[in-house]
Amino acid sequence: MVAAISRKRFLTGWTAFIILFFLFFVILPTIYILSYAFTEWGSIEALLEDQGRMDLIWGAIGASFQIAGIVTVIDIVTGLPMAWMLVRKDFRGKNLLDTLIDMPLAVPTAALGFSSAMFFAITDESLQAPSFALGTIGSPYLLIILLHVVFSYPYMVRSLSAILVQIDQTYETAGRTLGASPLTAARTITLPLFRAGLVTGIILCFARSLSETGGTMIALATMANARGFATGPTLIGEWKDALDSQPDLAAPLAFVSILLILLSLALLVVIKLVVMRVHLPMGRIWPRPERLLSRGVFPKVKDGLAVLFLVVFVLVPSFFIFTYVGSVEPTAFDWAPFIRSLLYSFLIAGVVTGIDIALGVPLALYIAKNRSGRLAGALDVLVNVPLIVPTAALGYSLGVFWASQEIVPTHDVLLIVLAHVAFTYPLVVRNVAGAVEEVDPAYEETARTLGARPVQAFRRVLYPMVKSSILAGAIMAFTRSLGETGATQAVVANAQTAPVYIVDLINLETAAGYYSAGLACIMLIVISFLFMLALRYVTNRRAR
Amino acid sequence: MPEVRLEGLGKRYGNLTAVNNVHLTVHDGEYVTVLGPSGCGKTTLIRMIAGIIEPTEGKVYIDGRDMAGVPIEDRDIGYVFQNIALFPHLTVKDNVSYGPRARALPPEEQLRVSRRFLELVRLLDRMGMFPDELCGGEQQKAALARALASGSRLLLLDEPLSALDSRVRVDLRYELRRLAKELGLTTIHVTHDQEEAQSVSDRIVLMRAGAIVETGTPEELYARPKHIFTANFIGETNLLEGWVVEIRDGISVIELRNGGKVEVHQTDHSVGDAVVISVRPEFMYPADEGMRAVVRGITYMGTYWRVKAETEDDEEVDFDMATLDGNLLTIGKDVYLAVNPKAAVLYPRPEDGVEEAIRLE
Ligand SMILES: Nc1ncnc2c1ncn2[C@@H]1O[C@H](COP(=O)(O)OP(=O)(O)OP(=O)(O)O)[C@@H](O)[C@H]1O
Ligand SMILES: [Mg+2]
Repeated sequence: MVAAISRKRFLTGWTAFIILFFLFFVILPTIYILSYAFTEWGSIEALLEDQGRMDLIWGAIGASFQIAGIVTVIDIVTGLPMAWMLVRKDFRGKNLLDTLIDMPLAVPTAALGFSSAMFFAITDESLQAPSFALGTIGSPYLLIILLHVVFSYPYMVRSLSAILVQIDQTYETAGRTLGASPLTAARTITLPLFRAGLVTGIILCFARSLSETGGTMIALATMANARGFATGPTLIGEWKDALDSQPDLAAPLAFVSILLILLSLALLVVIKLVVMRVHLPMGRIWPRPERLLSRGVFPKVKDGLAVLFLVVFVLVPSFFIFTYVGSVEPTAFDWAPFIRSLLYSFLIAGVVTGIDIALGVPLALYIAKNRSGRLAGALDVLVNVPLIVPTAALGYSLGVFWASQEIVPTHDVLLIVLAHVAFTYPLVVRNVAGAVEEVDPAYEETARTLGARPVQAFRRVLYPMVKSSILAGAIMAFTRSLGETGATQAVVANAQTAPVYIVDLINLETAAGYYSAGLACIMLIVISFLFMLALRYVTNRRAR
Repeated sequence: MPEVRLEGLGKRYGNLTAVNNVHLTVHDGEYVTVLGPSGCGKTTLIRMIAGIIEPTEGKVYIDGRDMAGVPIEDRDIGYVFQNIALFPHLTVKDNVSYGPRARALPPEEQLRVSRRFLELVRLLDRMGMFPDELCGGEQQKAALARALASGSRLLLLDEPLSALDSRVRVDLRYELRRLAKELGLTTIHVTHDQEEAQSVSDRIVLMRAGAIVETGTPEELYARPKHIFTANFIGETNLLEGWVVEIRDGISVIELRNGGKVEVHQTDHSVGDAVVISVRPEFMYPADEGMRAVVRGITYMGTYWRVKAETEDDEEVDFDMATLDGNLLTIGKDVYLAVNPKAAVLYPRPEDGVEEAIRLE
């Protein structure tokens, strides 16, 4: 009896601790900067008068949102035929195509930025880009769009095909027996069933593009003439860097962060409403033209274009850097600082992942099991906030939050870890909560009626079923932390993580600097690949 | 008008032959069921007719037209799927009007057609509901209305009733036949349920392991099946092994393995041939002499008693007794069983044995 009561108390205490951790270490720091608008309204009012700064801010924020929107549209238009082909068709080389699409995911965005910019953009003389590079893009705006397509395209294709496999093909066949051509059936039957999943894909893509910092900064640095162009996150990075020498940047920094946070959250709501409500002109059917487009060369041309797009706009820019390092005169490479930055990055990613699992899995269990309750429902919504907010804004907000108190000491590494936890923690929670909900609660209940105590029931029954989702969440958290630049720079301006180190090399604008950056990128790619292979090996072995 | 002709139709998946060399003509306005055990290739066959699967051999003709290379949507068929497959995002009405909509009929015409067919399946009051708000029987009717509303005169049904409970199933089968006949449709109906096949069809095509065993009217397949497999698969039967010992006046006398003798009105075998006799339980009855057996079980079936008896060489024999006579027998009692000579059918004894001949695959 006594034991039962103390166990219950312990459980309640533990649950409270987990929820408090989430609220005070993840959510509150993420949006803390919003309070700046109340406490320091005066300085924001002054900023609003400063025409020059306001132009910069609106320009950067506008560019960020426009780019994210355009990138998402391009991803959907080009990703949908690709997803369709992978899910609904059988052809030789399908497995190869499937693997190729995932390859850019293993390339850290910093390396992607350098590699893509070198392929697409007009670059500095001293860079000596290979002669077969495209080398024609002179507009930083266009370059960033292309870069963001490179890294978000695989995500879009993956999320679209994940939904598509779940839609029974019989529906389409049924439509065709009723006289609809393949195109008509796909458009009027499969696509509407697709909507809810499409929202997820769009939000994911939008948020990633809005948040991307490292690759964007590197691409802009690589480009010959990008001075003056900034996106929201790169503006935060730039100003944070200068904050020590120009303390009056605090207000603009806070203002940009507030705008990014509020607008991205508003956008989340708008996207959900628009995609679910908007009634596209799907009702009408044009039998003849649609039939024509379903036959003969059209489907083949469509598939061909989809593959061509993948190769030219995703694969080649991702791996172009290999041709550069192979073709240019080698110079001396200074290993020590690179290795140091790499270790620093890995150390942070490792610690962050550990915290995410230890404190994220319990929250996921709580949310999944009390789904109908108010508190769990609210937590479930809140968990998405750090995923949507651009990480640079999140990082700045978090830095200000921890600086504003005196209980927890603020050390650089600690701040970076806390910032990375804030935006990776939700990945673990969402993965695990999703998997737990899929598991029939009857399993665990059966185990308990057979005499297992709750902790045992979890370890013996539930854990084996959800451990792959824990692993998946951990992999995502680790790789996101490893590749992150925006949040890192926004909390600690001169943190020496691997991506920041590469930016510094490029900013030297010397042949040796570029070469070293290229070499560092390649090593980063190779390490990521090995790491992913190892994880895949472990996952497969565990799953068996 | 739709007539379906299959010539040497076959489908292979690597080494596995799902359908093998099927020749069949379904006439205009005919209601044909394709009957066979699970996995015998029924779905594969009907999907090849619809164009959902490409055959590896042979041809499909609809209305005399070769269907090779003609896509599903141009075959002008109505198809009801094994798993119903109503569009979950559309209401019942919109499901039914999908066919007219796909052919870009004006909206008022779409509505008129869907009302007409919903009325025909008596589902007009469910028009505005979504498929998951209907019960199984209603979903199946909606799927049927949707197939009919496409205006096709050829209806293909893949196990349309298999997901329903037995009462609804029985009601719906009559509904199916009534509609098909009322609308003058040519219907190919796939099922593994022999009772269903018998009660709805003009003609049954019996399949086994990808090939047609036999086709005929329900009555022919029940009363005079040409193959032991048919005799066993359609209805219930006793298969007794023996030899022809005498032939006289249009009667063959068969001596059974257990020594009993049975007379059969069929003389296409010669004395000394090894044969199998198929006798339905309702054509076997207790008499003063014949095959000796011990009663092992009596089950009340409603309109008759089913008696299970064991012969001297341990074979099980089933026979029926009228309800009023049931109390004449008790378990453990010895009986002599006689066979109605007109209703028994003789087959040459299969080389691989009876078991092999009636195996489902
Ligand atoms: N795509 C496929 N690849 C390989 N084998 C297949 C395929 N489709 C069907 N088969 C095989 O072909 C055979 C016939 O299958 P089919 O679905 O036509 O049977 P069925 O008579 O409809 O069975 P059921 O009554 O269970 O629906 C089966 O042995 C099945 O395993
Ligand atoms: Mg089937």
